[in-house]
Amino acid sequence: MFTQVRLEFLKLIRSRSFSLSFIALTSFVVLMLWGFYTYAERKAGEQATAQFKYTYESKSYFNGLTFTLYSVMFSFSLLIPIFVAMTAGGQIAGERQSGTLRMICIRPVSRVSLLLSKFLVVAFYTYLLVAFFIGLNLLVGLFFVGWGDLQLYPGALNLVDEPGKLARDEALWRFAYASLSGTWSLLVIAAVAMLFSVLFDNPSTATVATLALYLVFHIVGRVEFFEHLRPYFFTTDMDFWRDVFKPEIPWQSFGRYGSICGAYIFGILLAAVVIFDRKDITT
Amino acid sequence: MWAKIVLIVLCGVMIGAAAQFDPSRQRSLLAAGSRDGPRLRLITWNIGYAAFEDDSRAHTQDLPAIAETILSNDPDAVALQELAGPDQLKILLAHLKGHYRGAVAPRGNSDRVDAVLVKDRKAEFENLPTDGKYAVAALFHLQPQSPEIVFVSAHADAFSAARRRVFTGELIDWARKRPNKSIVLIGGDFNFELNLKDESHLYSDNVKNDSEAYSYALKYFRDLGRDAGETAANDRRIDYLFGPPEKVLLRRAEVLRNAGAGQMDHWPLLIEVAL
Repeated sequence: MFTQVRLEFLKLIRSRSFSLSFIALTSFVVLMLWGFYTYAERKAGEQATAQFKYTYESKSYFNGLTFTLYSVMFSFSLLIPIFVAMTAGGQIAGERQSGTLRMICIRPVSRVSLLLSKFLVVAFYTYLLVAFFIGLNLLVGLFFVGWGDLQLYPGALNLVDEPGKLARDEALWRFAYASLSGTWSLLVIAAVAMLFSVLFDNPSTATVATLALYLVFHIVGRVEFFEHLRPYFFTTDMDFWRDVFKPEIPWQSFGRYGSICGAYIFGILLAAVVIFDRKDITT
Repeated sequence: MWAKIVLIVLCGVMIGAAAQFDPSRQRSLLAAGSRDGPRLRLITWNIGYAAFEDDSRAHTQDLPAIAETILSNDPDAVALQELAGPDQLKILLAHLKGHYRGAVAPRGNSDRVDAVLVKDRKAEFENLPTDGKYAVAALFHLQPQSPEIVFVSAHADAFSAARRRVFTGELIDWARKRPNKSIVLIGGDFNFELNLKDESHLYSDNVKNDSEAYSYALKYFRDLGRDAGETAANDRRIDYLFGPPEKVLLRRAEVLRNAGAGQMDHWPLLIEVAL
């Protein structure tokens, strides 16, 4: 199993999509920095309107930690899932398309351990991606925006109900927690993509099907008409990862939705294993 | 086979764990403690009509029902919004059988006025100019030895979130300048639209302005009616009573849903605190 994981990991880091995902995330950070810098300057600088002072009277609101929080929140919903789906969706279907799946399956390695080792590699890749993104944002925030406490307001992020604050050191720990909770949350997408990768012959189909499912749930979950359906979407449960940024982490809610995500991950993975184990490989 | 069994067990463990946690455990009333001092009971109530009525200000024929609600709940002070003018206050005070004194704010640039009623005979009243209109405050003591209580009746713009933000900011700044010994409570219809989870769009300036105005209020005050539920038609919680975070202990927060008359679209919010 260990050798299998090592081989799969080597395969992953040599693939083009691996480096592409890190380059894309770096570009996103640069874009966020530019947007954040100009916004902060416009709002808290000389041209600040009279009404704005009521919220942003403290210039220290704009700091590297705030920058990182915004950057992570925005990218987490729509950017990082693309790379996770792309990588996980290509695991089995990619081998099938390139004609190597039959070769791999005739080796004395069980199909189950093959699929699980691929999933472990995807899980590690997801953690690497999230940790890299958070770390890069913190570094950029430190050097280009400056550090202070992390101030939280109800607003666009929909994170807290009332204003709160996290001291700098505590906030850094929370970002470390977020790398773990975020990875766990994204593994739901990875599991769905693995299932589709087993079901479909083409990696693009698996990736697009995963993203379509995710985006439909993500968007429909925000439309008021479907409020009663919201609890049944896995995207609703995936939101638990953000709870680590609340001044007091709601452990009950965190545990509940984290466990539901776990049930999705292992349940979908089980389905993928059962199907893959019985599937005829004809290509 | 073992891998499948492990996956089944892990999935079962996760489902069991999810059932074990209880995310809906209700929070206790904000700032509730075990000590008890003298109780202060307050009501804030927009007694106007829904916007689609010909005249959405308070209607004189509803004043007896309003007086009855006030008398039956026996608050120490009441903040009222959307009165048509001082004459309505005089009629209401007459229906209250001399139990309350009151004042209305000047009209300003609005066609309706706020009023504040208080039981204390020695109460004083003060007008607060805010963003072209006025709020009104009653300054009184619950007991001779108790600290001065400042109770403000306010009504923020119903149609412009930007104006609500300026209004709230000026009101809060005024309250912050009161002497430290005073207990300032602000009741009124702030018209904040804060329920982001029900919004079908991600962002709008309205949500941002309201959210930030509310945030500014919460920097210095507690939203005492937060757990009481909606205060107006269409499941909206737009009437608030803000109080100091440490000087008072919240004892009761209730929206009186049986109160009202005619086409009134708000219910009174009753707050009881221990000093």
